[in-house]
Amino acid sequence: MSVEAAHSSYQFKLSNNRLGLWLFILSDSFVFGGLMVARIYLLGDKRPELDQLLGLIVTSVLLVSSFFMNRAETAIAHGDRRNFIVSTIITAVLGISFLVGVVGVEWRTAQFGPSKDVVGAVFYMMTGMHAFHVLSGVLFLIIVLRNGLRGHYSAEKHWAVEACANYWHFVDVVWIFFYPALYLIGIPAK
Amino acid sequence: MNNQTEKPGKGAAYMQGIIVLVVLAVLTGAEYGLAVAIPGLSMVLIAIALVKAGIVLYFFMHIMRVIREEGGH
Repeated sequence: MSVEAAHSSYQFKLSNNRLGLWLFILSDSFVFGGLMVARIYLLGDKRPELDQLLGLIVTSVLLVSSFFMNRAETAIAHGDRRNFIVSTIITAVLGISFLVGVVGVEWRTAQFGPSKDVVGAVFYMMTGMHAFHVLSGVLFLIIVLRNGLRGHYSAEKHWAVEACANYWHFVDVVWIFFYPALYLIGIPAK
Repeated sequence: MNNQTEKPGKGAAYMQGIIVLVVLAVLTGAEYGLAVAIPGLSMVLIAIALVKAGIVLYFFMHIMRVIREEGGH
């Protein structure tokens, strides 16, 4: 195989795409790392006074959504198109449920606003930035679903599904750290 | 039918996903239970979060694929 042919092969593009996606994830993780540092430095052993049950529910919803995202990727990798479509839809619905839980319920029921004090500012900045990523992940899922319904993916070629899955899992990993930082660690601030 | 495009190990791959979900659920429950029962265990909670993140990175995000360049479609 010539050098040109090797460089235009799907496998070559796939490994480049993977590297690019991981570099993007790495760069994006610095944003969330900065927010975590702000939380630790500004709040110390204090944390926002939040609904613990709601925090556990939204965390569980996001974990289950990651499971279905993995199931969707596994399905398309094995040519199981029906399972891929169903799992992608469930993932998107769970992502929207997470957004409703955090932005629709937690933000509305919280006893403080973003401008009340430093606790409020940190809480709304962290959850807001994360919710924005969940929203963009849901949009990514809808695009993948639309293309999946049109038969654009196969067991041999499904890079977009893999990219969407990795982005979704990254959003989950961020929440894995944000959940204890906001809900569990420290004493509730009055 | 899509049997011709199916790779071996589909059932095993689905089962692995279920096992990972159960482990993550148990760790999340432990995280919540510990925080409620024994306040002040910050380092333990951070350690649990690191383990959970490692599991997601390894099993769901397949981080080794980019290092070893394995798992082509």
